[in-house]
Amino acid sequence: MTDVALEPMDDVEFPDDVHATSTGISNPKLAMWTYLASDCLLFGGLISTYLLYRNRPGNIPGLSGSDLRASELFNIPFTSMTSFILLMSSLTMVLAVNSAIRSDAERMRLWLVATSVLGAMFLGGQIYEFTEFVREGLGFTSNVSASSFFTLTGLHGAHVAVGVLMLLSATVYSMRRTLNAEAVETLGLYWHFVDIVWVVIFAIVYLIP
Amino acid sequence: MSATIDVDDDSPVHPGEHHDHGPSDGTYWKVFWALVFITALEVSTYFWDVWFGESSWTFAVPLLLLLMVVKFVLIASVFMHLRFDSKLLTRIFYFGLATACIVYLAALSVMNIFTDNGNPWFNDPPPAVTPSAVVTGEMPAGGMGG
Repeated sequence: MTDVALEPMDDVEFPDDVHATSTGISNPKLAMWTYLASDCLLFGGLISTYLLYRNRPGNIPGLSGSDLRASELFNIPFTSMTSFILLMSSLTMVLAVNSAIRSDAERMRLWLVATSVLGAMFLGGQIYEFTEFVREGLGFTSNVSASSFFTLTGLHGAHVAVGVLMLLSATVYSMRRTLNAEAVETLGLYWHFVDIVWVVIFAIVYLIP
Repeated sequence: MSATIDVDDDSPVHPGEHHDHGPSDGTYWKVFWALVFITALEVSTYFWDVWFGESSWTFAVPLLLLLMVVKFVLIASVFMHLRFDSKLLTRIFYFGLATACIVYLAALSVMNIFTDNGNPWFNDPPPAVTPSAVVTGEMPAGGMGG
């Protein structure tokens, strides 16, 4: 750390949408990282809630409820496939960022669309999984175990859905105006975070009995 | 007149100059295949009880947690560029993560998730409650809290 004098910077030119900051990090990027740090707390709370209630089917006499637990209905090979799809979308996202850095707009758009298609496939898999659970008799209000499971995975799915919308918006935007590399990178941060949250959910919720 | 301000000299990224020294596409592919391999190893543990017997879970659970951490760090460091970006971002993110881990591990400990002390309301299946207990609002042994 050194002390430097702040003088008017007439000879320094920044792009129109970039402002000098004392941290050397652009505000949107710093805001995204701060948001992601706070999202850790949100998902941490939901994962903890699931862990606490996962063995509590609601078979209390006099109250409605089901003996079924989500863990009894897990289809691990299927969920592994959707996990792989989400992992692959992280790869296409970083390839989009690299294309943006190289100012290769065509390829960037290609990778952005690929990422959103893979994200949509993951969402489709999750909807299929939820539908199967409901068909087996496990709904959101079946018992406290099911509620905590659907809240956790449903909120993650909502994050993926928002990510897909942002990716598609960025793709459309880039057709009309120049999308700078840092905007794509910031969008990528959100997408990778969705992926690492799934890494934790997949291991703790699905694989550890 | 000039003011002074602390500048983080560690930061390789400055506004207006996007860092272009990140990993190449080839590096991303290598990391991706490493992640695929780790995921395959994770999924294989699901079948360990069939292949190696129930006792294999003693090794499978710590291994799953370790592999989960490795995947997490790989994605955060390489795909999210934490390794190549300003250290401030690393501090911000891992501070949030550490806070979440500490708060929720403490909460789970208080609620006896790591031990079975007979508390029937968390973690374990609920006790058999008779219809009369529901009517009178009687609590089972162990109480509601931890």
